[in-house]
Amino acid sequence: MKSAMFFPAKPFKPLLDVVVTLLLWGYFTFGFFLLFSPRYAMVLLRRADREAAFQRLNQRFFHGFFRLLRLITPGVTLNIRDEVRTIRSSIIVCNHLSYLDPILLISLFEKQKTIVKSAFFNVPVFGRILRQSGYIPSQAGDGDASQMIQNIENIGEYLASGGNVFIFPEGTRSRSGRLGPFNKGAFSIARYCRAPIQCLLIRDTGRLFVPGRFRFNTCVPVTIDVERIGAFDPDYGDPAFRLSTLIHEIRGLYRKRLAGG
Amino acid sequence: MTREEITTEILTIFRSEFEIEHPGLDDDLRETYEFDSVDAIELLIGIERFLKSELTHDEKKSAMGIRTINQIVDYVEGLVRVREGGAHA
Repeated sequence: MKSAMFFPAKPFKPLLDVVVTLLLWGYFTFGFFLLFSPRYAMVLLRRADREAAFQRLNQRFFHGFFRLLRLITPGVTLNIRDEVRTIRSSIIVCNHLSYLDPILLISLFEKQKTIVKSAFFNVPVFGRILRQSGYIPSQAGDGDASQMIQNIENIGEYLASGGNVFIFPEGTRSRSGRLGPFNKGAFSIARYCRAPIQCLLIRDTGRLFVPGRFRFNTCVPVTIDVERIGAFDPDYGDPAFRLSTLIHEIRGLYRKRLAGG
Repeated sequence: MTREEITTEILTIFRSEFEIEHPGLDDDLRETYEFDSVDAIELLIGIERFLKSELTHDEKKSAMGIRTINQIVDYVEGLVRVREGGAHA
């Protein structure tokens, strides 16, 4: 993918940071309400395939976001490897550097689900979209046990239909760029569904949208790179199979790649 | 089926499926062993195999709040009672 090629003089950087941030947040709010909310409303009226239609709209909305980001942000290059876009029917695990990561992954796959912090399901409009998209809350509330069982039991069928479920096993963004400990939830789901695991490595989103900062960090050369660094199809039925060994192996792979290996 | 037999079976499932050796019977499984919702569903599959009987949706739902091995054993005892009661009716 092409990038914006010019680098304005340093004095303009703070101004450009603000302008780019406002335009991107503008896309998030006005772009959503003007361009996408009518389409979401139309889908809401449908009875069949509503979940898939919501996921498709999410993908298009965020694809638009990254097109705009590339267009207006000096210094940014997006490098999505071909083998990433063709992933289907898999549990995808990925390192986590920035709030951009989940929306970047949504923008790459037409059929995608993920696990989202439960609190987001209570946000007006956004929570409704998450629910309608079939995304999975990270924890079952008191009244949600039934839904949680259904969500987990449906994942196998969803994967078989070509969908991907992506999960950040670190659970939270890395502030330092270093790899955090892995939660086992993603791998438990893979074992439960007998699903292959694809390991993606994202680089540099944390440089563009730094954790803890509101403004985008423009005018610095940033190459957001998404690469598949491993694919695992374990024999879950093998008596020798150990989930902890698999997690250890996959985390080791990430550590090696992040260390430059 | 005695409570001891159920406890032994549950501990076997924990050892073989979740690699959890010798958990305390009153340990909070979520806090101590990261036992999550997916694990709970896998445990229910193990319990179905053990009982040779499918669980209803309501039975699964009632298991989602369980926190300790002792509570799991109570839960399985309840399932056994229901099934034995059904068999005798």
